[in-house]
Amino acid sequence: MPPSPRLSIIVPFYNEADNIRRMYTAIVDAVAPLEVSFEMVFVDDGSRDNTLQLASELAAADSRVRVVKFRRNFGQTPAMAAGIEHARGEILITMDGDLQNDPADIQQLLAKMDEGNDIVVGWRFNRQDKMISRKIPSMIANRLIGKVTGVPIKDNGCSLKAYRASVIKHIPLYSEMHRFIPAMASIAGPRIAEIKVRHHARQFGKSKYGLSRIYKVLLDLMVIKTVASFTARPLLWFALLSLPMFGGGLLLFGYSLLTALVAHEPLSLPIAGTGLIFLAGAVILLSSGALAEVVYKLGDIRESDFARLTRQVRTSITADSQKEQAILS
Amino acid sequence: MTQRKSGIQLSVIVPVGTRHADLKALHRDYRQALDDIGRSHEIIYVLDGPIPEATAALEQLMQSGERITVVQLTRLFGESTALMAGFEQASGAIVLTLPAYYQIEPEEIGNLVAALESADIVISRRWPRAGGLLERIRRGAFHRLVSWMTGLELHDLGCTARAMKRQVLEEISLYGDQHRLLPALADRQGFRVLEIDVKQSAQDRFEGAYRTREYAHRVLDVFAVFFLVRFTKKPLRFFGMIGASTLSIGTILVIYLVIDRLVFGNALANRPALLLSSLLVVLGLQLFALGLLGELIIFTHAGGMKDYQVERVIECPSHENLV
Repeated sequence: MPPSPRLSIIVPFYNEADNIRRMYTAIVDAVAPLEVSFEMVFVDDGSRDNTLQLASELAAADSRVRVVKFRRNFGQTPAMAAGIEHARGEILITMDGDLQNDPADIQQLLAKMDEGNDIVVGWRFNRQDKMISRKIPSMIANRLIGKVTGVPIKDNGCSLKAYRASVIKHIPLYSEMHRFIPAMASIAGPRIAEIKVRHHARQFGKSKYGLSRIYKVLLDLMVIKTVASFTARPLLWFALLSLPMFGGGLLLFGYSLLTALVAHEPLSLPIAGTGLIFLAGAVILLSSGALAEVVYKLGDIRESDFARLTRQVRTSITADSQKEQAILS
Repeated sequence: MTQRKSGIQLSVIVPVGTRHADLKALHRDYRQALDDIGRSHEIIYVLDGPIPEATAALEQLMQSGERITVVQLTRLFGESTALMAGFEQASGAIVLTLPAYYQIEPEEIGNLVAALESADIVISRRWPRAGGLLERIRRGAFHRLVSWMTGLELHDLGCTARAMKRQVLEEISLYGDQHRLLPALADRQGFRVLEIDVKQSAQDRFEGAYRTREYAHRVLDVFAVFFLVRFTKKPLRFFGMIGASTLSIGTILVIYLVIDRLVFGNALANRPALLLSSLLVVLGLQLFALGLLGELIIFTHAGGMKDYQVERVIECPSHENLV
């Protein structure tokens, strides 16, 4: 096996026969002058055209190219996750396979990484897409994502990102999380920077995304909030959710009891019942939270592991004095 | 991977349940068809629970010099478990499952194996098919349910004569009654599923009707597989769907009642509708909580599961390797 390179460039391809060669040339042209060792991981997401064949030719001609072939089409997040898993570099760069990202921006990303960041995300500041169907929904989504997750990134949808391999390889990526990777990664407390990158209009092939994703994005956001902010304390999250129910239930129930006792009116069944229902709901939510604690305890995600990934250890004990202590003890 | 015994190419697994044909005749026919394919093969019978007459028939076959493997399960475990038990003994690169009674003409077995050229799992559809109108309606409804839920156009999931590459059973563990839906599970894992028409055996006749319980089991299995196929990685999508609808209906009702109280002065205290609406709201929230709990389970275990199946990694010619 060749020595591991410093840089891995991960590009998922799905039916991009028109673009794959151009992409390869663009990457080599952009990265070769930087004088860093690099590899390219092309993920073929079950293409039905001859993308795979072209990719295999590239791999046969250039040992820096590796192709990961999926059994069928699995989607963009799995493709990215597979690329990340198979990459061997210290710094991983992901980008779209449709030439909308410009490999020339890799240099900037690397410079930002060298400043000590763990994740650098691209921001397509002059995005070349349709206004109504793409840009406005994405702007709203990005605002929302930033607010909810506390990771204020202007452009979550941009695929051009750089990651420190040691950090990203430990972040679970599944489902349709590719637009939330920085938010997901925030559980590890990484240093995140954002830079402006170029964005080109699609030249070949056609775009594979539609507009009907609001429901999915909203739900995914809820999931991220749950897992990213409350993994270590799931009970707290469920307790917070149950608090308004608890309060409302208590209020209604108390009110109906009070009117019955003080004003000597007959007990109002609907109001007392409503109060009881809310109280019961709150109790069940709390129990779910307790169950969530068990799930977390039995799972294999530990916050302390994430802390280890990004921590900086500074010690005033030198190697010599450590040795001395070892001898003394 | 289990060790390959002396170059066997085809492993045939025959789960034997209470419903089975004369095993001696059946074995002769299967053996004949397999010999015609001209590949080395082995036949594994799995007895699902104690079936004395089947055991006796297989004993006789063994004594007459037939080379077969018999796996005896101690009690009735069901066909899926029987299949997996048989697969543990199988060593061929291609696995064939055949029913213990006549469903297809044995000479069609060769076609099943041949069709593996362009697919990972080949399932057979008995066509043209004998059977009454009622039977046809029932079958049509079941398969429409399956295709609606899994997106796979299949026509004869009841036929268990199937050929598949070894990998399929290595990656999918079956339980309950899921063997019927194996094609749907295989499709989810990214295997290519192919259905071919085969001649129905003249002896394939089903008398009587299934009990209601069996229908219920089948439909529940479809739901279980549907959930597994579509929502394993995103439980909130499923629970959220139901939760969001109950929550919104409840909320609208509550708002209506409150407006009615504030604007029109209709007292809330004697309105049972208040109970209904608050029940809906609480139910919706609980469903959401269930979904979130599911997401938490997925997240904390995501390290062990993969969302994708890599077929192979292509590298510089010197170290190309299969995954």
